[in-house]
Amino acid sequence: MKSYRSHIIGNIFVTLLLSVFVRVNTAETWVTYFAAPNGSKVKVEGTSTLHDWIMESQIIGGKLEFESGFQLDPSLKPGKIIARVQVNTPVRSLKSSKDSMDQVMQQAMKQDKFPKIEYRLTELVLKEAPKAPEGPYLFDSKGELTIAGTTNKIAMPVTILRVSPTRLKVSGATNVKMTEYGVTPPAPKIALGAIKTGDDIKILFDWVAVQRSETAKAPEKTQ
Amino acid sequence: MNKNTNQADLNRREFLKGSSFSSLMALMGGIAIQADDKPKAGDAPTNYKTTGAPVKCALIGCGAWGREILKTLAILPNAPMVAVCDTYGVSLRRAKGSAPQAESHEDYRKVLEKKDVQAVIVATPTHLHREIVLAALQAGKHVYCEAPLAASVEDARAIATAARASLKVHFQSGLQMRSDPQRQFLLQFIRSGAMGKTIKARAQWHRKQSWRYTSASAEREKDLNWRLQKSTSPGLIGEVGVHHLDTACSFINTLPISVTGFGGIMRWNDGREVPDTIQAVFEFPEGIRLSYEATLANSFDADYEVYYGTDSAIMVRDNKAWMFKEVDAPLLGWEVYAQKDAFYKETGIALIADATKSVKAASSGGEEAAYAEAPLRHALQSFIVNSNAHSSGVEDFSANFDVNDAAALKEYLESINKVKQPHAGYKEGYETTVAVLKANEAILKGQKIEFRKEWFSLK
Repeated sequence: MKSYRSHIIGNIFVTLLLSVFVRVNTAETWVTYFAAPNGSKVKVEGTSTLHDWIMESQIIGGKLEFESGFQLDPSLKPGKIIARVQVNTPVRSLKSSKDSMDQVMQQAMKQDKFPKIEYRLTELVLKEAPKAPEGPYLFDSKGELTIAGTTNKIAMPVTILRVSPTRLKVSGATNVKMTEYGVTPPAPKIALGAIKTGDDIKILFDWVAVQRSETAKAPEKTQ
Repeated sequence: MNKNTNQADLNRREFLKGSSFSSLMALMGGIAIQADDKPKAGDAPTNYKTTGAPVKCALIGCGAWGREILKTLAILPNAPMVAVCDTYGVSLRRAKGSAPQAESHEDYRKVLEKKDVQAVIVATPTHLHREIVLAALQAGKHVYCEAPLAASVEDARAIATAARASLKVHFQSGLQMRSDPQRQFLLQFIRSGAMGKTIKARAQWHRKQSWRYTSASAEREKDLNWRLQKSTSPGLIGEVGVHHLDTACSFINTLPISVTGFGGIMRWNDGREVPDTIQAVFEFPEGIRLSYEATLANSFDADYEVYYGTDSAIMVRDNKAWMFKEVDAPLLGWEVYAQKDAFYKETGIALIADATKSVKAASSGGEEAAYAEAPLRHALQSFIVNSNAHSSGVEDFSANFDVNDAAALKEYLESINKVKQPHAGYKEGYETTVAVLKANEAILKGQKIEFRKEWFSLK
């Protein structure tokens, strides 16, 4: 995984151009799924010299859009899917059940300046469609993950389940290093010596998104 | 500890004591990440603070207890006082001593109008809670309502129902023992079965004091002595026993099913209508009974609680606790290393929350041990942290979803409630208030009252 801050400006430009193009041509017909207020979960798993830790949030806001007329259907052939995803999780909604740890994490992640963890999809490729409609659709995804104001490109396998005709559950997991996002792993001192949190963390998510009948609009912000 | 123990052995013991507790705390969940003030060479220096954002507070009711609350809030790093309120000028002026920056108001409505007041602590006489708490919730303030919730079941129900309906704010009942780390620690300990089967419990509160306040003004004196009049007072069981009963309910893990009470004016026959000496027996399911005694006429043995099980008895006293094991009780292992204290002909094994901190405090030779802190401090600290968590939860939800979707918001906030700092909410506050108000009724009538389930239900 390589930090590529220098390319961000370029990417914004390209994205802007693309979104303008897309808006003009197909904005009205995108199939949009909005984040459901309940049922989603993002989990951050980490390690330390004492024991492993977990932080969880129930908030994943944002939306998922497929191009005009797209249907998740077992007849889909593997290949590139035209889709847009932009989601976020508020940093302070991540809870460990220990307030002191939450406070430390929020400072480590510069929550006051960068209150959200953000993700934007750049490429979605269907690997395998299920035999039955209720089976899992397996994808490979590429996207940009922004933590503490630093954006990195990540790739991860993603599963989409069609929970109901209008409801999708998107699941995935990715490993990241805190230091790649400019976050110094907290190394607090406890009563019997120092403990260190590990640089490697795993982010897992289950995201529930619901299709709404109203016409999809292009995202308000492209970046 | 044996005074002849050599230094090496002492260190080993200290270490074992600490390490067993640190693993225990680790098992209890969560990792205590705290600011590291002295990072070792080679370690990345992380100087993160563990204090959350400030919550601007107002105190309504600046009597003796209200001023205790003010002093406690003053030592919290994130609870700035922006307003104090009392209908009585003298109390208000005295309160300003602990909160010089705060505005003074005689009308609580003026306090609730203030946009910068985020949280309100209500410490007025019990029978005056209802109107103020309802208005505060209506005004969108987080509310800490002193225990008991109210002086009548009807008022308590109104407060609890409004608190339940006020989704966007945090409500905390003043049952401060629920936030006390020592009692949290004991609760885990009791749940682990170390006491064996619970047999019975006993608690007492003994003081030699009149409970009467004097004032130059006759009218003011009548107001001040609301605790001595039947129409306004929940009695000793309501004002004091409420905390003991709450702890007992939490340890025994259920509500009482009946109460039998007795009371009389044994010493302070000064025209008061409320007994100065009471006894109450609360009956719990499976034949467990809590015997509670309180008096203002004799101070012998002050106050303590004892929980009796088939394997051991646990005594809670001055925010410390000891276990007295039966000879046939199974060996737990760790108690071999634990600190022991002599009580007449018995040996008490100290049960100390956060023993790792105590070991550290003892070895650095100063700092008060963690358990010595007052439960009120922990309750108010929980209130501030929880109010913050609640506000940011509502904000984060609103930023991403429709905040008027009450069902979804409620579901989300329930997930936040699960990770809030230990506290008593409206439910615990209501249930315990109902139980002590009924107990007060039993005491005044000298009879038994069987509790009906619907009294405790808020439907």
